Parts: sequence; structure tokens; C-alpha cells
Amino acid sequence: MKNWFHSWRAAVRIARRDAWRYKGRSFLVLAMIALPILGVSAVDLTLRSSELSASESLDRMIGAADARFNDAAVAGVPILQTPDGEMHTPAKDYGDKVWPSGPTDVTKTFPAGAVVLTDSSGSAKLTTAHGLLQTEVRELKAADPVARGILTLLDGRFPEKADEVAATSHFLETSGLKVGSALSPRGSDTTYRIVGSYELPNDLKTDQVNALPGAFLAPYAKAVEKAGLTAPGVSTTYLVKTPGGFTWNMVQQINTKGVAVTSRAVLLDPPADSEVPLYQKDGWANFETSAGAQAAELAALGTVVGLAMLEICLLAGPAFAVGARRSRRQLGLVGANGGSRSHIRAIVLSGGLVIGVAAAVTGTVLALILTFALQPLLEDAMGQRFGHFDIRPLELLAIALLAVLTGLLAAIVPAITSSRQTVLASLTGRRGVRRSSRVLPLVGLGALLLGGAIALYGSLVSDQFVIVAGGSAIAELGVVAMTPALVGLFGRTGRWLPLSPRLALRDAVRNRGRTAPAVAAVLAAVAGTVAVSTYAASDDAQQAAEYTARLPHGAVSALVVEDGGRDVPAVREAVQRLFPIDTRADVNRVSVGKPGCSPYGEGAGCGRYEIVIPPANECPLWARSDRGEDPSEKFSKEERRKLAEDWRCQEHSGGFHGDGGLLVGDAKLLKVLGIEDAGAEKALAEGKVVSFSKAQLDRNGKVTVKVITDTEKALKAEQEGKPAPGTLTALPAHQVSGDPNSYGVQALITPAAAKAAGLSTVPLGSFYSTERMPTAEQRQKLDGEIAKLGSDVDFHLEEGFVGESSIVLLVLTVFAGLVTIGAAGIATGLAQADAEADLKTLSAVGAPPRVRRTLSGFQCGVVAAMGVILGSAAGVLPAIGLRLTEERERLRFYEESLDEGWGAMSSPPYVPIVVPWETLAALLVLVPLGAALLAALVTRSRGAVARRAAI
Amino acid sequence: MSTQQPVLRLQNLTRVHGSGATEVHALRGIDLDVFPGELVAVMGPSGSGKSTLLTIAGGLDTPTSGRVIVENTDITTADRKALAALRRRSIGYVFQDYNLIPALTAAENVALPRELDGTSARKARGEALAALQEMDLGHLADRFPDEMSGGQQQRVAIARALVGDRRLVLADEPTGALDSETGESVLALLRSRCDAGAAGVLVTHEPRFAAWADRVVFLRDGAVVDQTARSEADSLLSGQAAER
Repeated sequence: MKNWFHSWRAAVRIARRDAWRYKGRSFLVLAMIALPILGVSAVDLTLRSSELSASESLDRMIGAADARFNDAAVAGVPILQTPDGEMHTPAKDYGDKVWPSGPTDVTKTFPAGAVVLTDSSGSAKLTTAHGLLQTEVRELKAADPVARGILTLLDGRFPEKADEVAATSHFLETSGLKVGSALSPRGSDTTYRIVGSYELPNDLKTDQVNALPGAFLAPYAKAVEKAGLTAPGVSTTYLVKTPGGFTWNMVQQINTKGVAVTSRAVLLDPPADSEVPLYQKDGWANFETSAGAQAAELAALGTVVGLAMLEICLLAGPAFAVGARRSRRQLGLVGANGGSRSHIRAIVLSGGLVIGVAAAVTGTVLALILTFALQPLLEDAMGQRFGHFDIRPLELLAIALLAVLTGLLAAIVPAITSSRQTVLASLTGRRGVRRSSRVLPLVGLGALLLGGAIALYGSLVSDQFVIVAGGSAIAELGVVAMTPALVGLFGRTGRWLPLSPRLALRDAVRNRGRTAPAVAAVLAAVAGTVAVSTYAASDDAQQAAEYTARLPHGAVSALVVEDGGRDVPAVREAVQRLFPIDTRADVNRVSVGKPGCSPYGEGAGCGRYEIVIPPANECPLWARSDRGEDPSEKFSKEERRKLAEDWRCQEHSGGFHGDGGLLVGDAKLLKVLGIEDAGAEKALAEGKVVSFSKAQLDRNGKVTVKVITDTEKALKAEQEGKPAPGTLTALPAHQVSGDPNSYGVQALITPAAAKAAGLSTVPLGSFYSTERMPTAEQRQKLDGEIAKLGSDVDFHLEEGFVGESSIVLLVLTVFAGLVTIGAAGIATGLAQADAEADLKTLSAVGAPPRVRRTLSGFQCGVVAAMGVILGSAAGVLPAIGLRLTEERERLRFYEESLDEGWGAMSSPPYVPIVVPWETLAALLVLVPLGAALLAALVTRSRGAVARRAAI
Repeated sequence: MSTQQPVLRLQNLTRVHGSGATEVHALRGIDLDVFPGELVAVMGPSGSGKSTLLTIAGGLDTPTSGRVIVENTDITTADRKALAALRRRSIGYVFQDYNLIPALTAAENVALPRELDGTSARKARGEALAALQEMDLGHLADRFPDEMSGGQQQRVAIARALVGDRRLVLADEPTGALDSETGESVLALLRSRCDAGAAGVLVTHEPRFAAWADRVVFLRDGAVVDQTARSEADSLLSGQAAER
């Protein structure tokens, strides 16, 4: 043991000094190993620092209070809640019956003598330097000690008077305002002065304004209602501080009054799951810590780390081999002085150890410095402040150990190869014949067959991605292990080649020890790239095929639902001005109740309408039943499959999702949507409804509109399985001939006809056809204009399917290209170190100087070409396997859905397999060519003048 | 002297490279004993088998037949590990040039065989410094090889060849890359080490360096064609001195 230690010390000393002597090569390998370590350590530091402790996150949630009380909105019936108070449900089971809903008086649940702060949130449209901005308004006495920790004051102070507000720094940035500016909500004559800026440590990107309780939301609601619009909703919670805090028992007591509580004491010392009644309820079990999910995550992480390490080892390995080859005589001298094979191995391995340790230290230290220095930037990017700079020494050490391990692994093969050389061969520089291992290719073949069989089983018999992916990974490793043998096969093609490529190929094949790792590195990178590219290209093709256009190509829609379409004229004007518009079709929607009501009848004084489908036209699979059971259960599988093809059960998917199904507009809309039906235009002119859905028309050819004013009654009726009460109006209708794509529009009526039928309408927006596709610049300008309105505009420009994977494919191709050139370059350097003698002989027999260049070019090209050819083959296959599995899975799902009677909603799966020829061509042709040219360019035509054998 | 046990004994040594048509007889039935305190020079034209003799004597190559006995151990039957240990403890090599490991200082180079043998770094360094001092090379201890002249490097190599208990130094043209004056000083050092009790085999093709030896063995085509006695070597040496 002691002897072993002393001889290793000598080995490490030699390796350390050698690493220092050959700084360039050492730096290259060090960078290769240190960069991933830097990345992973930085991610670890960032994630750990952004993970808050229970107490830190409590400070941000409830400040210095002991608890936050929250109305569960179940009309005060007892509830059960999770310990953090985030989820709750009524304690009683209501099943299909109507659930209780409504507010309760939270203030009654406060213990006597408690200090209470109200915390109310709502929203408002605020005037800014650029226009209007939809902003969250929070009424909280932020300066109160109880609230300390929720908002972080950055500048100025929190509001102290009713006409003062503070704003988040993000709001100030977006709005162009600053501390000292005045601010007023839209439609209100109250002005507020911004007296401070703050941030929410958990959400740095919120646009929020803070005011004193009662100072903002109530006056704003009044102003909005005065304008005939619906006031935005306000939610109020209470921060409560009481001596002793709130235990889990107290929280459960408060729950009986329909109030949920987030308590500091409970979160700092959470009850066991068995003490949480909610978790005992059916379907509410605590899923937070699932061992299976964690294991799967760990396995995935392990695979990624393992593959990354393999790739680095394959890349760094040849560099160590170069080092060992260059210092062959030195190793021979050690042998002559009594160094045994293990000593030689120790010296070369020490090279890996030294670089690995250096990389570990460099990577970890840089990660610490960078994370610390870039903390503000990282926090901004994550939108969240760190709790504290959290350094986990054990985790960092484990990551650093990976670097050491990588260094050692990369040096193993060169170490074994060097130690096998005889001392005499090392001293005299005789190369001798190096046999590659015969076992490795056999093991590789075994792994290839086994992995292939697993993947095949996965794609043909099972439909589990994991099996296919796992099998492919094993097969891939098998191919990597078989590389030396495969490289040998390439040698046979040599005899037909001209001198330089022939020499390069023979050299590469004869010296498999150095060629194989480089080829394997290229192989692994290319295989991964090709697999992902093939999968992504296939997925793209599938998405393109499944894409449903929301509008005809080039058409535009801009719709505004909120505030009764107050901003519609401004939006129309902006689109008309900035886009090359051909036809504009203005549309309104039917409104029930106040003009500012939302389409679905939420809010006081608001209602909704619907088109009544005659019972005879209803799809039996979906027909409403009295008892609330699933209507499709009455049918057998075969009947369901048959019914799915019935016209009543066909559903048209489209882009426009109207409210009740009736859109108010004129014949221009037909033109914009590309619907040609002379009868339809005529029908509109005659005041009829134009219907695109056969099911809407009753036997008399009429469409019936039901106006529902009492939405609460309607809801109750629906829950009981009865039709909602409302006023029915039957309108004459025209059924559009054929079955044109109406892009989701179900029925159309002119404004005049709607008025005549007693339906009131509000502006909704417009559909446009364009003369040509708007340019990116025009689109950006319009985005800017719309943003200034502060309005929630549903804008769509139909561009057809736009693939998202092209950038990914490009990045992957570039990555694989770089790895290929890197690995081929390293292998070429190695070949050059070896071939000095051959080159001297060549020039002695009269070869022109350029042979040196062309030879090194071809050496590089040969390695790159072998790698990309093998890698492409190895990459396409798993991708095909994955696609086949996916197809089987989707087919199974489709059959099931047909059986269940959902068939009408889905179409038979289309899972194409598309080979990304551009990527493959770039990898197969351009990359080897580029590598060869690069190597030829950087090689000197003349060798160093008769250099003596380097030690 | 002949009553003593030889440090190196070669018995009927043959070495054949290749087989069949490419068969080359590098050594044919060589017998040679080298005693403590004796320096034997091996001379002969290129390809006569001088270097092969030396590599086989040091266990770097194996003979086709015959025996090599170093310090009473038959190294032809020893395994690789035992051979390496023998090179650490008994046999020292000096080659024509580049004898020193560039990553190590002179002292570390000398200490290397001891450290590889498991001696602690401090003890090995002490022994190395002692060896260097003894040969008046103490001032070179902390220099790296590229900070030393060729002659200095060769002398450090001799110090390394004889560090610890090693008693056999095998020198293959140790002066080949040096000018004649430096070569003489290297030979003088080798001579003095042999006078102090080491056994040395010196391969050279320069008669004036061979003159430092007690005995000269002439090789041609792998066989000993002539051997001088010690006195003849002396006369060669004096002749050499007269020429100078």
C-alpha cells in the first residue's frame, strides 16, 4: 500500500510537470472537461439558491404575519385544506349535486386581539407614458410591520395617503413612468402620485401598483360602472398576527367556517399526511413525493450525465493518446529504470488525474465566481430573488468528482496501450504492430444485437418509448464498442484510391487504437443529432399535416371582447392603417344585459344566449339526459362506431370560437372567409340567418335563439339536467350549400336583422383579407400599437403551418459538425505525430511538399467521414423505432376513442417518418469536406527541419 | 578478481530475429563474465550485435537461447514484474542521449528508480543527493534536463544508473552525442565508479573510449572474435594518452 503510494507520487509529479510543459494540449482537454462542470455546478448553485427555505418563502407570502386567511368561497360550509392552504374542498361530498358557493365573513374567524391587515388585489387599466397598461392593483398597507417581507422597497417610500401609490420596478420600466410621476386609471378623474418603487421578491416581472386599502379599487370600480361597464373582480385575503400563531388544530377549527388558512407555524412544522383529513379523501392523496417519479428522473439524469461523460472521454481520450505517444521515449526510460507496466499506466493515468483535478477546481471555482457575480442577472432571468447564496459542498464535490472521473476514464485506454509497449520499442521508437482488442468488438456486437432486439420489441410489440429509447442507447454503445472493427472494414476500400487518401485510410485502419476513439466520438455526436433531427423532421411533417387553419391563408382577425368592445374602433383603425388590407368585414356579437358584460354572462346584470339545437338533430352520443349520466353508455361499441359517422355527430373544428354561435356581420365576411354561395348573400340581404351547421335548422328551416337573462337559474337547471329557462326567438334561416370551411363561424346575421329580432349587439372586431402577406416589420408595428391600447386583443394572422424545429435542427447540425471537426482534428494531430517518419521517407523518395498537406487533410477527412457514415446509420434507426412506437400508441388511442364514441372528434393517426435530407447532406458531405480542408490548411507543407526524436 | 562472483554472467547467448528467409542471427553463442570493479568495453562494426547484447544483458530483450545471470539471478526465466524490479534494484542504463526525463529535476531523475521501488520521496531524494554529491554533481540537483549541458546530463544519468544498491551499469555509446573532451569526462566518471566497485559494460566504437576499460570484447556478426586482457587495454590507454 505504502509502496503503491510512493510510486504514484512520482507518477503524478511527472504527469503534473508534463501537463505544464504542454500547455496548449492540457488547456484544450481541461476546457473540454471543465466547461460542462462549470455549467452543471452553476446550475446547481442557482437552483439551490433559488430554492427557498420554508421560512424564507413564508416571509415572501405572509410577511411578518402568523397566517393569511382566505375565503374558500363555499358560502361558509366546513372545508378541508392542505397544510399550506393552497388547496381546499368542502368537507361534505356533494357528488353531482350543486356545490355550495358564495362568500363568507372571514372577519368573524379572527381570534380576539389579533392584528389584521387586509390585502386586496384587482386590476385596472392605467395611463402610461406609452398608452394604457393592464395592471394588477394591490391594496395593502405595505409600510406596516406585519407586511414586512412581502414587498421589497427599492426607492422612495410606500404610500401614506389616499392619493399616493408605489409601483413595481417592472411596471415603471414598462410604463415609462418614474417615482414622482402622476398616474390615473382609464375613465377616472382621480390622479395618483407614484411615491416609491418596489419589487415582489418571488415575481420580479409583475406589473403591480400598491395603494392604501380603499384608496384605489373602490373608486375605480365606481368610475367603471358609471361608464356602463363591469367592474373588475377584487379578491381579498387577510394577514393575521396573534400571539402564539396558528397551530394545525386551530387551522382545522377555522376551516369549519369555510375559511382556508396559510399558517406560519403549520408550514414550519407540517403535520404528517395521516393528520391531514383532506389527504384521506378519495382522489386527494398527497402526490408530492412519488418515489417512482423521482427514480425515473434520476435515471434520465444519470443517462444524460453518462452519455455526456462518454462523449467527453471519447474526445479527450485521443488527446491523452497523443500525449502518451509523444512522450513514448520518456515512458521507455522509466521502463529502463525499472518502471513496471503498472508504473507506466500510473504515469499516463496521472495525466488524466491531474487534468481532471485541475478541471474540477477550475470549473467549480469559476462556477462559484460567475454565479455570485451574475446573481442579479440570474435572478432577473428567473424572475425571482435568491433566498440566500446556497452552497452545497457535497453536491459541488460530487459534480467535481465527475470531472476527475472523466479525466481518468479518458486516460484509461491510452494508459493501457502505452503500458503494453515493450521498453525496447518505446526507446527505439519502433512502432511495432498493435493489435486491437478482439473482445471489445464481440461485446459491442452483443450489445448491438441485444439493444436492437429490445428496441425492435419496443417498437413492434409494446408501445413504450422507454423501451425503444433504452434499447437504442444500448445498441448505440454497442456500435461505439464495435468501432475499431468497423474502421477495419473501411480499409478494404483503400486499393482503388489515389496515393494520399490511400495512405490516409491505411494509416487510419492500421492504427485503430487512435482512430477508433475519434471515430466513436464523431459517431456518438452524429447519431444523437441524426436521431433528434429525424424525429423532429417527422414530427414537423405530422404537425403540418394536422394543422388546422383558423382563417384562409393571409387573412387576419382582430377581436376585442372586453369592456363591450370599447377599443374595437381603435384596433380596426390600426390594422387598416398598418396592414395591406383588401377587404374588411366588421363583426358584432350578440350581447345580453349591460353592454360591458362578457359573452358568457358573468357578473351582475349580465346574461347570455345560445342557439337551440332541435332534439332531432342532436347527436345521440352527446344528447342531454335527465339524470346526468353519460348518454353514450346506452350504446354498444359497434353502435358507437356507427354513430360516430352520423352527420349529427360530426364536429367542425375551426379557428373562431364564437360565444352562443351567432356572429353579427354582413356579406363581406363571406368574401373574407372565401365562402361562395350566392344564396347566402341573398339570404343576408333578406334578413335571414345564414347557417353553416345543418344541425341548427329545425324542420321549418328556422334557427332558434334562446336569450337567457337569469344565469344562476340556468346553471341550476343545467346541473339538474333540464333546459335553461329563457326567451326563444325563431329566425328564418338559409343553410349554406355544400360544406364549405367556415373557420368556426356557425351562423351569421346582419346587424339590421339582429336588431329587428330584438337582439342587442356590441362591436366585436373585424376579419380582413390582405393583398399580400404583411411583413415582419408591419406585424411588429401593429403589435406595438395594440400594446399601447392596453386592450386584450385576440389577433390572428393566418400564415399556415410554421415549423418550430428548424432552429433546433440547425443548432444540432452545427454542434455535431463542431464535434466532428474537433474529434477528427485531434485524431489528425495524433496521426501526424505518428507519421513523421513516413513523411520523411515520402519526401526522400521525391514526393512534393503538398503531399504532407493533402495527407493530413485526408487523414482528417477519413476520420470525419467514417464517423458521420456510421453515426447517420446509427441515428436514423432509433428515430424510426420511436416513430413506429408512437404510431402504434396513437392508433390504439384512436381505436379506443372509436369504441367509446369519441371517434368523430379525432381522425385516424398520421405518423409520417421523414428523413431530414438537408441535415444528413450537411453532415455526410459538408462536415468531412470542411474538416479535411481545415486540416490541410493548418498543416505546414514542410516538416520541422530534421527534428530529433522528441521525448 | 576471478575468485569473486561475477555481477553479470552471459552463457552461450544467442538471439535470432525473424524466421525463415528473414532470419537474422544477432548473437551467436556469446559467453561473458563481468566482475565487480571491472569495466568491459564491447566494440564492433554496425550490426555486429553490440546493442542487442546490452539490451539482453539488461533484461529489455529476451535471448533465443542461453542464460543471463545478474547478481546470481537468472533473468531469462524471470517474469516481467521481476525484471522491472531487477532494473530498479540492480541494473542501471545509460543511453547515447536523452537519458533524463524532462519533467523531472536531476535529483528527481536520480531518485526515480528508488521512488518507483516504493521508497518515500524524502528518503529517495536523500539517496539521490548523496549519489550526486559523491560524483561532484550536487550543484545540478535542482536543474531540469533542458537546463544542463549534454555532458552534465550523461553524468547525472550515470549517477542514476548507480543509485542505491545498483552495481551493474550498462552504457550504450554514452559519449556518442558529446564532443571528445566532454566524452572523456563522462568516461572518467564511469571508470571511477567501477574502481569504487561497480561492474560496467560499455558499448562503443571509438577505441580511445574503449581504452578506459579493463577488457575489450570485439564482436562481428554476433560472435566474439577477439578479447583483450586487462594489460592490453592498459597499453591501448597509454597509447591513447601518448597521442594526446
